[in-house]
Amino acid sequence: MQDELSAATRRALTASDLPEEIQERIFAFISVLPLGADEAYDVALELIAHFEDGLSAGRPSAELLKSFGDERTVVRLIRKTKRRQRPLPRDTEHIMSGDFFLSTLWQYIRYAGRRLAQSPGFTATAVLSLALGIGANTAIFSLVNAVVLKDPPFEKPEELVSVLRTAPDFPYGTFAFPDYEDLRDGTKDVFKGVSASQLLFTQTDRDGGVEMVIGEGVSGSHFPMLGLKAELGRTLLPEDDLAEGAHPVVMLGYGYWQRAFGADPDVVGEEIRLGGRLYKIVGVAPEDYTGSLRGLPAAVFAPLSMAEELFPGGGGDRESRSIQSLLVKARLAPGITMVQAQAVVDGIVDHLLELKLDDFDPETGFLLVPAGDVLTFPGLDPFLHAASWLLMVVVGIVLLIVCTNLASFLLAKGVERRREIAVRVALGAGRRHLMGQLLSETVLLGILGGIAGVLVAFWFLQMLVTADLPLPLPITLDLSMDTTVLGFSIGISLLAGIMLGLVPALHNTRPDVGTTLRDESTGSGGRRRHSIRNTLVVAQVAGSLVVLVTAGLFLRSAQNMDSLDAGFGREPTAILSLFIPTDRYSDEECRVFTQTLLERFRSLPGVEAVGLIGNLHLNAVGRWTESINVDGVEPPPGRGYHVVDFTAVSPRFFEAAGIQVLKGRDFTEHDRSGSPRVVLVNQAFAERFWPGRDPIGQTIRRGDDPDFTVAGVTSNTKVRSLVEPPRPFIYRPYNQVTQRLVYIIARTSIDPEQIALDMLTAGRELDPELWVWEVKTMERLVSAQLFPTRMAALALSAFAVLALALAGIGLYGIVSYAVSRKTREVGIRISLGADHAGMVRLLMGNGMKLVAVGGVIGLAGAYVAARLLTGLLYDVEAFDPTAFVAVPVVLVVTAMLAAYIPARRASRIDPATALRME
Amino acid sequence: MRDEKKEIIRVERELMRGVGPMAVLKLLEDRKMYGYELVQALARESEGVLTMGEATLYPLLYNLEAKKLIRGVWRESQSGRRRKYYSLTKKGKARLASHRMQWERLVEVMHHLGLSGSTSGVDEG
Repeated sequence: MQDELSAATRRALTASDLPEEIQERIFAFISVLPLGADEAYDVALELIAHFEDGLSAGRPSAELLKSFGDERTVVRLIRKTKRRQRPLPRDTEHIMSGDFFLSTLWQYIRYAGRRLAQSPGFTATAVLSLALGIGANTAIFSLVNAVVLKDPPFEKPEELVSVLRTAPDFPYGTFAFPDYEDLRDGTKDVFKGVSASQLLFTQTDRDGGVEMVIGEGVSGSHFPMLGLKAELGRTLLPEDDLAEGAHPVVMLGYGYWQRAFGADPDVVGEEIRLGGRLYKIVGVAPEDYTGSLRGLPAAVFAPLSMAEELFPGGGGDRESRSIQSLLVKARLAPGITMVQAQAVVDGIVDHLLELKLDDFDPETGFLLVPAGDVLTFPGLDPFLHAASWLLMVVVGIVLLIVCTNLASFLLAKGVERRREIAVRVALGAGRRHLMGQLLSETVLLGILGGIAGVLVAFWFLQMLVTADLPLPLPITLDLSMDTTVLGFSIGISLLAGIMLGLVPALHNTRPDVGTTLRDESTGSGGRRRHSIRNTLVVAQVAGSLVVLVTAGLFLRSAQNMDSLDAGFGREPTAILSLFIPTDRYSDEECRVFTQTLLERFRSLPGVEAVGLIGNLHLNAVGRWTESINVDGVEPPPGRGYHVVDFTAVSPRFFEAAGIQVLKGRDFTEHDRSGSPRVVLVNQAFAERFWPGRDPIGQTIRRGDDPDFTVAGVTSNTKVRSLVEPPRPFIYRPYNQVTQRLVYIIARTSIDPEQIALDMLTAGRELDPELWVWEVKTMERLVSAQLFPTRMAALALSAFAVLALALAGIGLYGIVSYAVSRKTREVGIRISLGADHAGMVRLLMGNGMKLVAVGGVIGLAGAYVAARLLTGLLYDVEAFDPTAFVAVPVVLVVTAMLAAYIPARRASRIDPATALRME
Repeated sequence: MRDEKKEIIRVERELMRGVGPMAVLKLLEDRKMYGYELVQALARESEGVLTMGEATLYPLLYNLEAKKLIRGVWRESQSGRRRKYYSLTKKGKARLASHRMQWERLVEVMHHLGLSGSTSGVDEG
């Protein structure tokens, strides 16, 4: 090819009458051209014509050669231009080779990197603020992903339904075992399978270490029906769940297998001691299935038939329809719709009602819900959804503020670069190319910010996971950075890069460069740039106001909740919750043992009063109710009885808890199992059932069970949550109830944390194998109730402060810029006798106008946001005067400060210096 | 030294997209011209465009041809010599018209900035 070319060019040169030195020059030139034969030959012919024309015009060959120019530049240029003329296949080949794309990309990156390195201060600020913005988004998205988005790995999830037990006061109830059996046996035509699972707490005993863990009892149908495969070994199967107490086998949860067994691959076949009995490990659950309740990963999965052994008295009663603790799922049979299945399920309920069972509430219903619609639990889901959306919107606004802020900085920087860009445009640099360069700068910023942001998020989530949060249950979320989260982070980083760069890039490269040059050169205009920056500041002010007001509302809500009085435990109080196992203690032994424990704890130094309670107030795990009747008080319509919450307490509990006995007496040691059934009721109960009458000695009826006689009245306390109105409540003597899971509380004169640990040690001395469930303080118990509101208030406040700071910086930038444009004017005015204060006002004026406009828009937005959020707030009106007055004041003060600093600096300028400028 | 050379190449490259092409399009507006003829005309009418050497005209022409703004045809002249004659395409005419007004404004502004005329940055480069 090359030879042919050389030969053809040679022939053409020889045929010309050109002097030899010119022929040689052309030949040398052509041979280094990296072109195809036809292209090079064409160039050769043209150059021959060029020199012939030059010679015939009378120019000497030496001069022609000299003015011909530097070959290397020309070779380079020709190579580039000739490539464009090539037919498509050759071009495609070049582009497809990857060189083209990569080299262009690399060029952009290098350019962007150089630009950013030139202003390290700006780059650092930008990366830092982007890191905060993207980090906040990534962290919150990880939470949302873990709570709301991640789907369990069920087979054909569209066929699965959750079955809920509905009652008028609680539409999302769990099932009792007999109800589950009836459902399972009566729906064989419409369901391919029905499964039940139950949360339980049990104790593991390994290598001398005793630990309370969360477990899950599952029906034999559970794993097969959901289509879950074991990570190791096998899943639990129907044959593992035939007779009560007969199947000591378990599957380990993936997390527990990793944590406690170091992911030992040979774990299958080993034994583990649970609740005092050895269980054979048959398998390990898959990593992405942690159990029926999101956030509460089960350490062990055991057959439902073993639930009572693992967690004695924990709701494993298979006879009663009033003990409801099963979560039920079912898989629709092929061709069966939800409506058809619901009709069959309704038939089962009708049948149960016809039997007129004692313990089957006539208002019970069974409701089918697509399993995919249930995240954790229908009662909790709306709150989770709302909270997720709120946080995502808030961090989204924060990122938008970061972007607008940086965009407005870049617009200001664009002023510095205006000549460079204008001249380049004038010299023919394409707009697309320039925009590409400018955008590559901001996209690189976005990527750097994104990398830093992911680190920020990772650090924050690590902190969150390891933090000792006052949660009512040991909630664990899978907050690992999976591909969804990383994809999200990369997406928002690129988006942020483009968002913050687009407006400046469009603006700085707009085609009417002439105007730009003229305007900027005379220092008079840039009006459009100005108005864009102004709009950005208005947006920032408005956005930060929305976030600030939202944070203000949540702070108010948290403040209101903080001032709530639980009605008990105001003094420092330690709490130790224990489980007294049935296999080692009979009921009588259990009573004696708790008595011994209480006496032992009373003797600890620093303890002032000790008491025991079966189900502690504000307990998130369980709730005890009693069905009662009181003569002369009609039950709610459609019901035969009143349902009232109750608990069981030891003598002197009220003293330890700081609950007053207002009338009558406290329980004594004489209120034991054989003695008359006495109760104390709270004030709300007395007022509800015997208004204006003396409650002492009144009778409370319980169907066939022995009646209660009221022995005393106590002050009100919160029962289920801190925000509820006073709720009627019954206290029974612990010795007449005997529950195995008990809370011992001790009012202390010294640090309750220490006392709680002392109680644990003292308890272990009495029984080294004591099942300890929790060691905490009353403060933490109440904090758990306040936690969601406090957390929301804290997170929102942090974001709000960030937003406010960013908006302040943005405003500072605007005023600084405006001031720099007016230095000359200021100089003239001051030299003409204007005073400094007047100057400051003049210079701040524009900035404050922007704050006013942004403020009005922001307040409107904040009001809309507040209206949407009232459901999440406690005792706060949508138009809360404190939030809506205090927040704008904070904003205005910040804004004035941000505008004042540059304005004041300018007003102090020496007139002579100012006049010399520009 | 190296940086200076890079700078020269950069300016040259941008020249290829700015002043030079515009001048060539303008020259071809009235009639067809061949390479050497264009070199002469540019030297006469647009001082400085080909300071990097007369050879730079050819990549410039190939570039315009690639963009389909001009078309080159080999023809025999009256003197019997074969030359490649360049003429404006329709697209080239449109481009010239659309740029003319903006160009005039730019020249005015460049003059205002002290960038136009013989003291232009291009010359110095």
